[in-house]
Amino acid sequence: MAYAYLFKYIIIGDTGVGKSCLLLQFTDKRFQPVHDLTIGVEFGARMITIDGKQIKLQIWDTAGQESFRSITRSYYRGAAGALLVYDITRRDTFNHLTTWLEDARQHSNSNMVIMLIGNKSDLESRREVKKEEGEAFAREHGLIFMETSAKTASNVEEAFINTAKEIYEKIQEGVFDINNEANGIKIGPQHAASNATLAGNQGGQQAGGGCC
Amino acid sequence: MFGRSRSWVGGGHGKAARSIHSLDHLKYMYHVLTKNTTVTDHNRNLLVETIRSITEILIWGDQNDSSVFDFFLEKNMFVFFLNILRQKSGRYVCVQLLQTLNILFENISHETSLYYLLSNNYVNSIIVHKFDFSDEEIMAYYISFLKTLSLKLNNHTVHFFYNEHTNDFALYTEAIKFFNHPESMVRIAVRTITLNVYKVDNQPMLHYIRDKTAVPYFSNLVWFIGSHVIELDNCVQTDEEHRNRGKLSDLVAEHLDHLHYLNDILIINCEFLNDVLTDHLLNRLFLPLYVYSLVNQDKGGERPKISLQVSLYLLSQVFLIIHYAPLVNSLAEVILNGDLSVFSSKVEQDIQRSSAKPSIRCFIKPTETLERSLEINKHKGKKRLQKRPNYKNVGEEEEEERGLEDTQEDADKVKGTEGSSKGIKASGENEEIEMVIMERCKMSELSISTVTEQNTTDEEKSAAASGSEMTNWSRPFLDMVYNAQDCAEDDYYALFVLCLLYAMSQNKGIDPDNLERIQLPAQHAEEKSSYNHVLAERLIRIMNYAAQPDGKVRLATLELGCLLLKQLVLSKSGSIIKDVHLACLEGAREESVHLLRHFYKGEEIFLDMFEDEYRSMTNKPMNVEYLMMDASILLPPTGTPLTGIDFVKRLPCGDVERTRRAIRVFFMLRSLSLHLRDEPETQLPLTREEDLIKTDDVLDLNNSDLIACTVITKDGGQVQRFLAVDIYQMSLVEPDVARLGWGVVKFAGLLQDMQVTGVEDDSRALNIIIHKPASSPHSKPFPILQATFIFSDHIRCIIAKQRLAKGRIQARRMKMQRIAALLDLPVQPSTEVMGFGHSSASASQHLPFRFYDQSRRGSCDPTVQRSVFASVDKVPGFAVAQCINQPNPSPLSSPSPSSSGSGSTGHCDSVTASSTSTPSAAHSPSVDDSSAPEQPPMTFSSQVMLVDETSSAASKSVKNPVKNPEVETANLSPSLIPAQQPTISLISDDNTDALSVESLTLVPPIDPHSIHTFSCIPQSSLPSEVCGVTEGEGSDQSQQADYDEQ
Repeated sequence: MAYAYLFKYIIIGDTGVGKSCLLLQFTDKRFQPVHDLTIGVEFGARMITIDGKQIKLQIWDTAGQESFRSITRSYYRGAAGALLVYDITRRDTFNHLTTWLEDARQHSNSNMVIMLIGNKSDLESRREVKKEEGEAFAREHGLIFMETSAKTASNVEEAFINTAKEIYEKIQEGVFDINNEANGIKIGPQHAASNATLAGNQGGQQAGGGCC
Repeated sequence: MFGRSRSWVGGGHGKAARSIHSLDHLKYMYHVLTKNTTVTDHNRNLLVETIRSITEILIWGDQNDSSVFDFFLEKNMFVFFLNILRQKSGRYVCVQLLQTLNILFENISHETSLYYLLSNNYVNSIIVHKFDFSDEEIMAYYISFLKTLSLKLNNHTVHFFYNEHTNDFALYTEAIKFFNHPESMVRIAVRTITLNVYKVDNQPMLHYIRDKTAVPYFSNLVWFIGSHVIELDNCVQTDEEHRNRGKLSDLVAEHLDHLHYLNDILIINCEFLNDVLTDHLLNRLFLPLYVYSLVNQDKGGERPKISLQVSLYLLSQVFLIIHYAPLVNSLAEVILNGDLSVFSSKVEQDIQRSSAKPSIRCFIKPTETLERSLEINKHKGKKRLQKRPNYKNVGEEEEEERGLEDTQEDADKVKGTEGSSKGIKASGENEEIEMVIMERCKMSELSISTVTEQNTTDEEKSAAASGSEMTNWSRPFLDMVYNAQDCAEDDYYALFVLCLLYAMSQNKGIDPDNLERIQLPAQHAEEKSSYNHVLAERLIRIMNYAAQPDGKVRLATLELGCLLLKQLVLSKSGSIIKDVHLACLEGAREESVHLLRHFYKGEEIFLDMFEDEYRSMTNKPMNVEYLMMDASILLPPTGTPLTGIDFVKRLPCGDVERTRRAIRVFFMLRSLSLHLRDEPETQLPLTREEDLIKTDDVLDLNNSDLIACTVITKDGGQVQRFLAVDIYQMSLVEPDVARLGWGVVKFAGLLQDMQVTGVEDDSRALNIIIHKPASSPHSKPFPILQATFIFSDHIRCIIAKQRLAKGRIQARRMKMQRIAALLDLPVQPSTEVMGFGHSSASASQHLPFRFYDQSRRGSCDPTVQRSVFASVDKVPGFAVAQCINQPNPSPLSSPSPSSSGSGSTGHCDSVTASSTSTPSAAHSPSVDDSSAPEQPPMTFSSQVMLVDETSSAASKSVKNPVKNPEVETANLSPSLIPAQQPTISLISDDNTDALSVESLTLVPPIDPHSIHTFSCIPQSSLPSEVCGVTEGEGSDQSQQADYDEQ
């Protein structure tokens, strides 16, 4: 399928916060959330549209690889966006955010867009972390914030798409070097040609603006 | 269970009679599959949805109802998947199948369910299926599927994937074929899979990995890494104007990724895999490419080479990241002790135990692709096993290995005594797999040198360490390492060499004895009595260069040099540095003091910079690993901050940075010198936390000046307090109930960081802000106090204002004097702020007590244009006079006869003059005099005096008659003598030697007319001063006392 850009995301956060469920929720609408079924996936891809452009999101869950330093390092570096997830019903997952963030900032490229996600917002009765706390943390560290529920699919769509919008804006601003795939951004097949010429005068011009 | 589930779904779906999640539904799905065994355009959608639903039901079953799984297995439904797959049914179906498999294996929670799924060989059939890998989505799903499977590997499940009898391990062999896939996420997944495999402690499987796959995989991997390195080197060599930095930093990050990956393999500590890997890394990459390039820069030749800086940089990374002893020891051995013979097969008298072929360490492309090698190995499998029974029998092997281990330890102990006879085999042809299995005991004896170092004396060792005395013993790599430390031109290479030495000394894997040969002690070395003189001298030379005004040594280099020198000469019992070296070092330190004196200014900002540099230096000591992650140091050192390169990793740009650099050099060398002389630091930091008044301290305030006030904080809080001003701090106290005349401190803040402004419509009120100095460059300055103080009447208010102002000046001046003392400058004896008397009342009418440089604080008054060094002290009568190397200052020390009475005292030559608020004086000057940096400095101060009162001119002339004519001219017709003016430009100061003009800012009012005369001066005066004047709201005065240091 043709796309203008491909953005690579990673999902990070403690185990059991619902990363892979979020991923499946977003990438595959056919799996309806059901209360007695917990189901997730480690990789997913989906097409979205931003500003009239087809953008493919490719999301890689990093679960289970924490023990290898080389792996986490490389994952961070190869992504344009990261969803940092905690569980609003488990305080400790929130407390670990600083470590996750430090790690991410240490290894990622400085332009990576990070979205903070408080998951399991459907479990209001068991809530341990106030929404305000999440907001404050996000503000303090310059992240976008959202509470989601993989169970009810609430805000899941928005979380992924808002992150993509942010990345897209950065591309428009010329912050991301789109010709460098190491940033986690890839130009779509049919765009590659037009962008080769654009690469030269990129800067003031909106890259890719008039090419399709 | 069913009932519940059905009713739940039924509620949601109304009519739907059958629950989606149920055994019944799975049965129905089975029925659909049996009816649609052939994929056609018509049933494609139906099939995809069916497969998807089956996934969902299976997971549901795993979590809720195990009978679902039983049915799935009983009907062998996996076969349908495989059948569909084999029909080349197209992307749509393929992706769905792969997603299903991913979900299936990821979500299965019961071990038994997992075993069921794996029990027939279907999964392996799917793994080896030839998907269309050109499709990036299929590729991504496929590799994720393998990754998911690899995460399920353990000692039990491994048997479902690795078949001992057929020598099949599809999961692993299929995965590694993608090790160099262009898509980074795929490569990462491959690495994850391999690591997950190596982690499983299953001997037969690991033996298979080593015997059948290790050589092809590792040789290709090493080639892949090497190719990246060549590309990286190209990038460095073809760089113009730092344009390649983006690409370069990617390539560097890629190399780091590889090293971390290799290290992750090595620390799994699977010995015999490590042997193969070590062999390849050493003999196919590190030695022939990295180390070889250390000495063969000029010669042409066939062998691939990289530039010296890249080679040093990469080797540092290797030693910083990899700590696996056999590898790092061998590598260090060659660098420190080896010679070129390690690269020629002739000299090497290796007895090739397992191969008759000569081994040449060479960076060459593997003769065939990884895929092909794997293919060949697979077919050769059985036969070879028979040929080489050693690797067949697990138990035997283990025993043998233990034996080898012991041997190696012994070998290590006597290392060096029998060094020449053994060496490492380089691998033979790729298909000759067994040949390359390394003899572990040879690992540490790479060296060809036969020097026995067992019974040498320290002196001999020292000579050996220097490498110069020994005939017939060339150590080209070590020589190069020493030589590259030369910083006369620049420190491009020196930085890398220091990093390399540092990394080696910190490496936990390197045998301390190895380092001892060049007397480079490991970090926590034992008692020692000698050290490497050559190295020490080189290091001290770097320090000497760094302290030169035009030294091209970056701060990072200097800091690293200090670190290394400390490590070199400090032993447990203290410093063992030789007097002569210490003397040289003291010389360097002395130089740094001289250097800093040139920059010592009376201006506020100097103090702030001084303290700020100290803070940032102590808060953020250098992290060499981070330093070596920065690709920007690979490009030639540059000065401009426009590159975005950190200050410490480049040369200074402009005078502000030159000042910062001088300050840092001073700090580092001072600290080093104190350290080596084993003396404690008593002077720095200027403000020690423990000396300060803290909240809740109880003070005796009898006989102290206290002013009652109401403090209204920003958030509206209101409290009654007494304001007390101490030497360095202001504090707000409340009476101590226990003792009369004592007070409890409720707030204390540094006067030097205080900002006081009047309140426009309330003459009884003051706004006071105290900022805490930023702890890191990223954090915003954070006010620890921001409040309005209301006093009982305007008199008290003015008193308070004056007291704070005076206190602030005093505090800063005292600190400046302490800096002066540190720099061995004569200290001003006067501790009191003079001339505060008359002028202050009038001044305060005009002057908002703006203590802070506005531009620095980020306030944006567009009319304010000043250099960074602008005078910011608007308090009348404040002068910081300086005498530098002035042998006889006394005759001139009479108080300046300023007419306005704001007689600040200038000692020596530095004099305070007064000027009034005529703005013209302020505006005439400009920065343009920066064009004449080399003009002879003159005693500027005398001129200034003249403007004021003739008497002062007279007094000046006593001291400096030579200048008199000039001075007179200046007085009469100043515009005639612009060329004579001293150039004190902070901006243009190219040659800090020639111009060491100390600026002095002081601002008592003077007669308006005198300003006219004065106005010539700005033509050439300090931009800083000038700008300072510009800033004033018509009441600014400026005064300048400058003079040359000679």
